[in-house]
Amino acid sequence: MVAALLMGVATVVGVGFAALGQTLSVGLQAGLFWVAVLFGMFPALARGFIVEEETGTADLLRLAARPVSIFWGKWLFHATLYGLLSAVLVPLYALLVAPLGGAWGAWLLLWLGGGFCLTTVLTLCGALVAQTAVRGALLAGLTFPLLLPLLLILIAGTRQALEGAFPAEPLQGVFGYALALSAGGAWVFEKVWRE
Amino acid sequence: MAHWTLACHRLGKRFGERWVFRGLELELGTGARLIVRGANGSGKSTLLRLIAGLLAPTEGRIELRANGRPVADRMRVVGWCAADAALYRELTGYEHLHWWAQTRGLPSDRPTLMAHLERFELAHRAHEWVRAYSTGMRQRLRLALATYGNPPLLLLDEPDAGLDPSGLNLLQQVLDEQTRCGIALFATNRAECAAWGDLALELGA
Repeated sequence: MVAALLMGVATVVGVGFAALGQTLSVGLQAGLFWVAVLFGMFPALARGFIVEEETGTADLLRLAARPVSIFWGKWLFHATLYGLLSAVLVPLYALLVAPLGGAWGAWLLLWLGGGFCLTTVLTLCGALVAQTAVRGALLAGLTFPLLLPLLLILIAGTRQALEGAFPAEPLQGVFGYALALSAGGAWVFEKVWRE
Repeated sequence: MAHWTLACHRLGKRFGERWVFRGLELELGTGARLIVRGANGSGKSTLLRLIAGLLAPTEGRIELRANGRPVADRMRVVGWCAADAALYRELTGYEHLHWWAQTRGLPSDRPTLMAHLERFELAHRAHEWVRAYSTGMRQRLRLALATYGNPPLLLLDEPDAGLDPSGLNLLQQVLDEQTRCGIALFATNRAECAAWGDLALELGA
């Protein structure tokens, strides 16, 4: 938790330093915001299952509970982490990089939908790579095609929200993505969790 | 009380190019105590992990039946104890058992849990972190987890490792009790434990 927080803070401070004294365009603000959030949370969110495999407790966990319970249990832990890290990183971003104005309702929906999708993708990919030997490289390779479309939609939505408009289409995309993940995530997890 | 049967049909497991064993046939019923023996690398732990559902067989199948009806999710009813199974270092012995009971839908009230820990002589250290436990105490906790709720299929992979004489007596009691409610498979190469089983399987022979 502390390491994740330091990583996130370092990212936001670095972006803030690079943007010091400059007026950022709305598109750049939106992009940097989600890059900072993703970069800060990426290492922490994927650790849940990797730690279980590294410490050897995964077998006990497999026998203790059903895969669907384990998936949503880890998801809940990661979602809590996302909430806690956001509570630090979002105000810090607004303070150091650019003020986050615009449509607050849209912001909240983007944060919720984006957080759900980020948490689900990283929980699932964390479970997949935990059972392999080349975890770091594989995690990046697996999450890239899943996160890139999401990131682009979130950036487009945030840009509209910063301009004061309600990002209806990006929100549809985010929640559609979330729906697909919630339906398929636990099912895919069940297939990979047992050898 | 249900009658349990465990059957392995043409069971085989391969890691990479190496077959650990192939064509293994096994059938056991309630009351059976099978001692699994064999040299290091002969597949004792692999066999127990396959039966527990922690590994998938390369070929063949495993069936657990209750009164002739197949059990769909074997992992929910097995008790598994392995000397190399890791515990959560940041939890206490009591917290381990409480978590185990809750996730498996077993009684999780304090008196029941403490009574079970007492049986394994862990009650006096129940609220200490597992990281402070000795090797033998960790093994007792693994046994306590494996036996909680009287699972019909008990899989013990070298459970005698690290146990003192009183721990070995306890282990023998656990096996005796398992004979009354289900099936026990016990992997060991320790000569004095060989007599504890009524059936023996020699792997790699």
